[in-house]
Amino acid sequence: MSRVQQFTRRTVLSAAAVLAAARVPRAQEAGPRVATLDWALLETLLAIGANVVAATELRQFRQVAIKPDVPEGVADLGLRGTPNFEVLRFARPDLILNSNFYAWADPLMSRIAPVESHPIYKPGESPYLLAEQATLAIGERLQRPAAGRMVEELAARLDRYKNLFARGDGRPVLPINLGDARHYRVFGSDSMFGEVLKRVGLANAWTGATSYSAMAPMGIETLASMPDAWIVLIPPHPQDAFEALAESAFWKALPAVRENRVLAVGSINPYGALPAASRFADFLAEGFSRVRNG
Amino acid sequence: MRTGLPHLLPAAALGIACIVSFTLLLAFRPHVPGEPGTAAVLDAILLWNSLLPRAAIALIAGAALGLAGALLQRVLRNPIADASTLGIASGAELAQTLGLGFLPLLTGISRELLAFAGGFTAVAIVLALSWRRGLDPVTVAISGMIVSLIAASLSVTLVLARGEYAMSIHIWGAGALNQQDWSGVISLAPRLAAGILAAALLLRPLNVLALDDSSARSLGVALHGVRFSILVLAVWLSASVTATVGIIGFLGLAAPTMARFCGARTTGQVMMAAPLAGAAVLFLADCLTQLLGPGFSDLVPTGAATALLGGPLLLLLLPRVHGFSAVTATADAALRQLRKPAAALSLLAAALAIIFALVLTLSPTDKGWSVALGPLFSELLPFRLPRILAAGGAGAMLGAAGFIMQRVTGNPIASPEVLGVSSGGGAGLTVALFLFGFPSPAIMLLGMALGSLAAFLVMIAIAGRSGFSAERLLLAGIAISAFCMAIVSMVLAQGDMRSYILLTWMSGSTNRAGAFEAWTAMITLVVLTAPLFLMIRWLTILPLGTGVSRSIGLRVLPSRLVLAVLAALMTAISSFLVGPLSLAGLIAPHLARLIGFQKPHHQLAAAILIGAGVLVMADWLSRVVIYPYQVPVGLFAALIGGPYLLWLLGGKERSA
Repeated sequence: MSRVQQFTRRTVLSAAAVLAAARVPRAQEAGPRVATLDWALLETLLAIGANVVAATELRQFRQVAIKPDVPEGVADLGLRGTPNFEVLRFARPDLILNSNFYAWADPLMSRIAPVESHPIYKPGESPYLLAEQATLAIGERLQRPAAGRMVEELAARLDRYKNLFARGDGRPVLPINLGDARHYRVFGSDSMFGEVLKRVGLANAWTGATSYSAMAPMGIETLASMPDAWIVLIPPHPQDAFEALAESAFWKALPAVRENRVLAVGSINPYGALPAASRFADFLAEGFSRVRNG
Repeated sequence: MRTGLPHLLPAAALGIACIVSFTLLLAFRPHVPGEPGTAAVLDAILLWNSLLPRAAIALIAGAALGLAGALLQRVLRNPIADASTLGIASGAELAQTLGLGFLPLLTGISRELLAFAGGFTAVAIVLALSWRRGLDPVTVAISGMIVSLIAASLSVTLVLARGEYAMSIHIWGAGALNQQDWSGVISLAPRLAAGILAAALLLRPLNVLALDDSSARSLGVALHGVRFSILVLAVWLSASVTATVGIIGFLGLAAPTMARFCGARTTGQVMMAAPLAGAAVLFLADCLTQLLGPGFSDLVPTGAATALLGGPLLLLLLPRVHGFSAVTATADAALRQLRKPAAALSLLAAALAIIFALVLTLSPTDKGWSVALGPLFSELLPFRLPRILAAGGAGAMLGAAGFIMQRVTGNPIASPEVLGVSSGGGAGLTVALFLFGFPSPAIMLLGMALGSLAAFLVMIAIAGRSGFSAERLLLAGIAISAFCMAIVSMVLAQGDMRSYILLTWMSGSTNRAGAFEAWTAMITLVVLTAPLFLMIRWLTILPLGTGVSRSIGLRVLPSRLVLAVLAALMTAISSFLVGPLSLAGLIAPHLARLIGFQKPHHQLAAAILIGAGVLVMADWLSRVVIYPYQVPVGLFAALIGGPYLLWLLGGKERSA
């Protein structure tokens, strides 16, 4: 029997039901045609039912972020690092939303349509607050009332989870992403996952700072320096990496593993906005209540 | 014995350094915080399942690489043969990147198997390329380095394509020794033992191989058979290490050198001492990176640290490299000469204009191929024109820079990419990123220009020494390249915003080109190439050598310096625009000469036109082959230029 709390099909379905309950509106009444290079903005736009016509790396987005669904007709602009501006042009957007990550593209894109920038990851600022601001601003710009509802509903839900987790074991949580069997990436207090932990009243086991763009990989042996924590494994990770890790003596000897304090959740975009935060919170709630109920 | 003692000193010093640093590591290793009972248990686990297996794997991997290096060097009769220089490591990395990212069906297959397959494939290609020459040592080594370059550029393309998912490829590519149990040791140790046993059995044929081919054959050694089995053994050893801990750069080069430095003379002695030296060097490097890193983390991945050894070692070993007489890439005397070069030049210019018109209008769309005319043309122009101008300008400047380098060094194989001048720009960029955090494009350009200039001056100094053949210069260039790229990859392994900038630079994407890039390309092209046509006298005389040039009354040093600064500036700006790997600077002057432009000013003009044409075509291809996704143009051009360089080296036997 695996020591890791794996999600069964049923629990994934129920988590999906929670997400669906957030009443994602459809883009039937087509608003302005919008395009974006940034995945965090893409998931925000999809979640509030905006009329998205073009976005980057959709194949990868469907595998990593998974939700919200990307409608079939959305044009794929290619890699985030090298978006295809001609495809963007052919998509005829009325508005392009961009973030500070791809600011270099603003002058080129402003020839196609007005560009509005909404940063979500900035050094020293809370990505959750920035994501809230961006969601509200975009909602207002596109006249999607769903944006305001999403912000309020998620805040309320995180409050509910706070009460739920207050009845838990009070241990800190370490959200990690496996790179290979010997390295992982950690999400500090300045990451979206770190923000969610703070808002649901859980302590982040990782107290060091993480740089806002990407985290230098940590050696797996550093897991031993956080013996009290719950380990939350966030995919995507190479399948063989997880299998090799689960077999190793070191992993089996970790207190968290011996005491069944490892949660494997579904794949989440690590640089997401509110939909990613919501997904992470739901996975946590689902995982912890499952553990408690046996 | 008087001669024996001084040689034992370095060996003893190395041994003592290893013991001291390991003792320090044990004493100062970080401890697990928290409740004492749990902490003690975890500390013990860390000691027995992480620190000790890591020390063991460093010793084993170092020994295996040292042995593999010694074997490769013996069998190829080439002191610079190594897993890094033969493409084994890069081939293995490429296979892993492919397997991890693009072929989900392969996820069931272990990464070890993938690495084996990649390493063997790379070596098979290298051997196939040099088969006609009877696995000539020099051809093997150079083919290996070019295959390595191509594999590395493909890997970078794939890494970029995967985005964040490539974290593990990063770590793996840089060769980290972190362990969390003994499984790595258990899988690698028997392979090392088997390798040592096989090497012992092959010792006699190895000794015979130290003689030249005909003597070896007359002594009854089946030449190809023995060489092949030793090669397979060495590849197997290095691929095992690469699969287990990643790329450990140039250790196979360092270990035998160290062994000889410590007094090993005969084949048997080197075979015994090289694994020991390799183990000691890797062990020491690994202890140091753990000691110097904060807390539990390392300062740099161990593999990236050892790669820094590669460049200086290659330069140090160059005087020992023999056997260059077989391959010469010198200009064919019988090259035809155009009767009307001016008319041919106008023809070239017309061809460039037609290419320009085509790439500006022809492209796939979501509804299939289309020719953009009328309003659509003016709509797409702001996106197509800057990148075409940037690519064309960069290609033209690379062509001119390659032409200058071939003239100044008197060497037909010189070019910005081959001489490591482009990579020097990368090292300059890395330094600029460190000093300024997020530097402006102007500072980035300046850093790259200074780096390029430094690299080119080193190369001129090397080329100036007598008796340096074309290939030797090429190897020196690869040494500079390796050193600069080691600096770049140490920063790449940090995985922060700087590494993203460096990755983008390495891939050389014109996709971001806007007005700034287009104007930079056009203005610098005019400003930097126009003076060249006034320096034709220098460019005619300098290839004749320092002595002749001086006797004709040319002031050699100032003229060389001016040309070097111009070439370095052109290289830096074009590598800023299209990355360091394009190889356009090699191809363009060659094609110009092959077509029949023999007079320097004709050749220069033709090289500029051809360079522009090649990169404009490459840019167009890079955005249509996997539409709407795009391949960075620099990498795409390298995929064209690499095989050309191989063909150039291999094809010369016809005229030899």
